[in-house]
Amino acid sequence: MTSGEKRVEIEKELSFGPVHPALIEPYRIRLFVNDEIVEDCELNINMAYRGIEKLFDGLPVERALLIAERVCGICSHVHAWNAVRVIEGGLKIAVPPRADYIRVITHEMQRIASHLILFGHAFEVVGHETFAMRSFLLRESFMDLISYVGGNRVMPSVPIIGGIRPRADLTESLKRVILERVDEFEEKYKGYVARIIEDPLVMSRLTGIGFLTKEDAIKFHATGPTGRASGWDYDVRTKMDEYKPFDFNVITDESCDTKARIVVRALEVFESLKIIRQAVKNLPEGPVVNRSWKAEEMDFTTALLEAYKGELMHSYALDSQGRIRNYKIRTPTPTNLAAMEHACVGDHVTEAILTIASCDPCLTCCTRAEVVDSGKSSVLSDLEIVRKYGWRK
Amino acid sequence: MNLKATSRKNAIHVMVAYTGGCNGCDIEIVNAVLSPRYDVEQYRVLLTWNPREADVLIVSGVVAWQMVEPLKKIYNSIPDPKGVVAVGACAVNGNVYKNLVGDIGQNEEIWAPVETVIPVDVKVPGCAPRPEDVIAGVVKALPKILEAP
Repeated sequence: MTSGEKRVEIEKELSFGPVHPALIEPYRIRLFVNDEIVEDCELNINMAYRGIEKLFDGLPVERALLIAERVCGICSHVHAWNAVRVIEGGLKIAVPPRADYIRVITHEMQRIASHLILFGHAFEVVGHETFAMRSFLLRESFMDLISYVGGNRVMPSVPIIGGIRPRADLTESLKRVILERVDEFEEKYKGYVARIIEDPLVMSRLTGIGFLTKEDAIKFHATGPTGRASGWDYDVRTKMDEYKPFDFNVITDESCDTKARIVVRALEVFESLKIIRQAVKNLPEGPVVNRSWKAEEMDFTTALLEAYKGELMHSYALDSQGRIRNYKIRTPTPTNLAAMEHACVGDHVTEAILTIASCDPCLTCCTRAEVVDSGKSSVLSDLEIVRKYGWRK
Repeated sequence: MNLKATSRKNAIHVMVAYTGGCNGCDIEIVNAVLSPRYDVEQYRVLLTWNPREADVLIVSGVVAWQMVEPLKKIYNSIPDPKGVVAVGACAVNGNVYKNLVGDIGQNEEIWAPVETVIPVDVKVPGCAPRPEDVIAGVVKALPKILEAP
């Protein structure tokens, strides 16, 4: 794939998966190695195809949110929120500011939980159980907060069309609990991050592997922390109206390696904490849901949102009865994985899985579409499309 | 409790097979078994990824058709006596992927529930079930293993 015209003699093929200790989700990695140096890498992520985009077709738009939330179990709030933002943008439904604030709070809470899963996963691959366990323990405090807000640890179901579920409204006592827990968490987390960054053993394992230059990141459209670790300061949050009231920094790193991808996420958690504090302290009063809307015919509308792994796109149209047509989801992971396939070439074979894990792969949402290439009558997955044609707007 | 049951009880190995759900249950299971808060390793229940060592198989997710054969293979390579726990609404009844479809009427990409592929002993419903529920489900599957001849 990446070697171009140069012919490389492949000595050995190593393949992992679909079910393998290092991979919690089912996917298949084929590493073509020459003297323990990876010459080529091929990922097959088509193990969890559920036909999810087709399920939306013909559903009333409120019911479709249930499926949208279950696209991914780590970024459930993002999918629900973005599905709602499509119709709110298309039909110009006004959202009360209080609802927007609570959506942002849940979003940032889940971002922290998601980044901490990555640390757990990455350090398990490194072989440092203690850091993995500590990150799982730290994550629990935010899982608790999510369940206080939404009622469920994994599927909080906070957004509905025109606002949030009244159950997810923040009471005064819950606001106090959130602020207390955030302070408590920050203290523990500071110690945890300092311990990681000062650990020479872990850092020597992470530094200098999996290089992804800025040009490659832009070419493959590796968004989110993966792109920002290559010095590309692309963050959808800076362009969103919902994030206008908040003051936060976009973390970038120029060192482009696996360490940068971990460190960028570690520092992003502090920015998320900052946003949560601002949002809880300045939470405006007022209603949380605007019910004066009616599903009517809507053109194909797109909404972008910064998911925890990168840029997420949802788009659909509504027909005259308010039923969904042509639902399309583009998640960040296929493009990130295509970049990681490229990044792990030239490294030692032991570092390949660590490099792939460092882009926070979440494969359930990747395998939701297959495109039939009519010219050759073959079926391509999203990853293959990115690999073959590059990313296009 | 006889000698066999006592010795079996001292090392229950759990294997997780993820068959294409949304990842939520999967993380809750790993959380239940691994994370320091819901640590079941203190009760000598260990997570393994080798089906030949496993006693309890935890299955999560709708069974995508790519995972049908691997799942049967995993089930067959677990030595007897074995227990199977289906965790999550997807594994129990197919959840929204099976029951909430629009125009197409029936989702033929998935094989949910898990029962249609391999025999299931315990079902843990919920989307996603809490880690406590997962632990309770595993405990319910234990008598079958311990009391087997």
